[in-house]
Amino acid sequence: MTTAKDNCFTVEGKLALPYQYFAGSTGSRFLISLRDEKKIKGLECKKCKKVFVPPRSTCEVCFEDISQNWVEVKNSGVVTGFTIVRYEEPHQPVKPPYILGLIKLDGADTPITHIIKGVPLTKMKTGLKVQAVFAKNTTATILDIDHFKPMAEKPKMEMGYTYDELEIGMSASFTKTISETDVYLFAGISGDFNPMHLNEEFAKRTPFGTRIAHGALPQSLIAPVLGMKLPGLGTVALEITVRFKAPTYFGDTITAVGEVVEKLEKRRWVRMALRWTNQKDELVAEGTALVMPPVPLPE
Amino acid sequence: MKKNRNVGIIGVGQSVYSSHREEVNQPEMIHEAVVAALKHAGITMADVDCVVHGNMELFEMVHQPDLWHTLGSGTLGKESLRVTTGGTTGATLVGVADYLVSSGLHDIVLAVGFEKLQEGHTTGGITNMADPLWARQLQTGALTGMTAADVINEFGEERAKKASMKYRIIMDKHAMKNKHAHRRLGLEFDQADDLAKSSPALVGELRMIHMCSQSDGACAMIFASEEKAKALCKQPAWVKDHITVHREESFCIFGDAPYMTSHRYAALTLFERNGIKNPRKEIDMFEMYDPSSWWGLDWLREFLLLEGDAHLKMVENDEITIDGSFPVNPSGGVTASNPIGATAMVRVAEAALQIMGDAGDHQVKKKVNQALASGFGGTMWTVLVLLTREAP
Repeated sequence: MTTAKDNCFTVEGKLALPYQYFAGSTGSRFLISLRDEKKIKGLECKKCKKVFVPPRSTCEVCFEDISQNWVEVKNSGVVTGFTIVRYEEPHQPVKPPYILGLIKLDGADTPITHIIKGVPLTKMKTGLKVQAVFAKNTTATILDIDHFKPMAEKPKMEMGYTYDELEIGMSASFTKTISETDVYLFAGISGDFNPMHLNEEFAKRTPFGTRIAHGALPQSLIAPVLGMKLPGLGTVALEITVRFKAPTYFGDTITAVGEVVEKLEKRRWVRMALRWTNQKDELVAEGTALVMPPVPLPE
Repeated sequence: MKKNRNVGIIGVGQSVYSSHREEVNQPEMIHEAVVAALKHAGITMADVDCVVHGNMELFEMVHQPDLWHTLGSGTLGKESLRVTTGGTTGATLVGVADYLVSSGLHDIVLAVGFEKLQEGHTTGGITNMADPLWARQLQTGALTGMTAADVINEFGEERAKKASMKYRIIMDKHAMKNKHAHRRLGLEFDQADDLAKSSPALVGELRMIHMCSQSDGACAMIFASEEKAKALCKQPAWVKDHITVHREESFCIFGDAPYMTSHRYAALTLFERNGIKNPRKEIDMFEMYDPSSWWGLDWLREFLLLEGDAHLKMVENDEITIDGSFPVNPSGGVTASNPIGATAMVRVAEAALQIMGDAGDHQVKKKVNQALASGFGGTMWTVLVLLTREAP
């Protein structure tokens, strides 16, 4: 047998196949609810306890006529499956790429197909909670639901480590270079206009030989550690003790470290060891803190 | 035909036939017929072992419609298959159901034929069947004026046109008695001459009034083994024999050379093997797939193995009316209702109802001991089914 394809013609042809489709009384009633009430309705098989959306007038299991058992379902639901349509052809409702999802509405047992918008294609996943967005202008078609969009998520309150999550040995730090501006602002904040911080000529005559930062300025760098990192947001500081070990000069880079050293079970407080060092690893200060870690917020 | 065991038709269900069934979708429409057939047989879906489904490709624009139709056909969890043989599909469904029961594979089989012509593209489907390179441009769909031209050529314009219109009006009078029928026009014989002139011409002398309707509708039938049929039904219609003859996919393939039609070949073979020597005497009524009154008229000669103008005389002498000596289509036939995927099945179903005595207002008066039903499809395809009152 030869499979040579020389001198074999291909004849092109084209057939137009227009068609229409009857929605029927049941399908039409679903569309009318969408159009007139912006309500999504399904049909319930009372025997199987199953709600069909899209509606079907018979239950294929019981073979019963269920066409009068209308129930309303929620406009929200969960995506049980999806595909991303990337090819383009003239009959699509929106321009590709777009997401077509199977959405099981809350109160329904079967999923309905529709367009999902408002999710990056790469972030789309099954299990996404979505809600219907109704079209501004009705067409008495399934596109009276314009699309589904992700449910607006309630902004989740960020929270630091709770007492139970904290373990002895956990530590966190914050590092910052102390500038002349910081010192002058701190003078304004604290009202401490001591010339040893602000007057270079005065400072030259002190044991430090130049201006130094207020002691409380590097000390304050432990606040972002305790309040924002460990234990973090929601922490209440109960007590901080500090012993200053070395001065902080303008331009020094100070690292404040907090480490959990003790868990006080009775009060559910935590004791932390504090250390401040400079860029030369010299100990600038050390101390302890007693803190109340965040407790979970009520929903 | 050698049969392993006898098969009886014990239930028939039909939806209403109409040009547009907008109020139901496809499975909902099928559900109507299936529920009616189950009720007629006095059984439930639980008694059915197997469902045979049939459709016409492209006619309803759904690929593998039997899957969706499960909602209405009750097929869930049952044996099932779908057959599609063009216009003969409905009659092929009867053949397949008969095979499934007579073979012993199943005791009770439900057969479902349906049509939703308004949802699909009939002409697209029919045009597609011809050889795409040599014949597709020639193949135009369901309308052909050839038979009208042939009958006029053979018998003269006046006699041919009169006979064709009389056939049409007889069918309408029958349809008026059938509550399921789609077109029930209330025609009278004195309108014949007017209609032959005023009805819009489709192709040559094939006019709108001669042509079958485009109908939506469904038909369901229940077939049972002899044992079950006798237990469930007072008078089943027994499937004695059936024959299928298919040939080329375009008309005129033989040019003008005379050839034997698939109708005549099928009838000759079927009658011979069942010992039928005089079909007009031995068969009590005939449900014919008559797509137009020209074809209905012409095909009487083919199916009944007549010669000359005997078929015209049958019409002229009122032999084919519901009260005549050889009633044809007491249901009104295909010119009244044509849900294509179901049409050929409706012929067998109506013949079965005549034997069962359940045809209602269009029940023929005489006792029907043996009935004939035909299916037609393609360009000249034939299925003939022979039903009897007594178990064969």
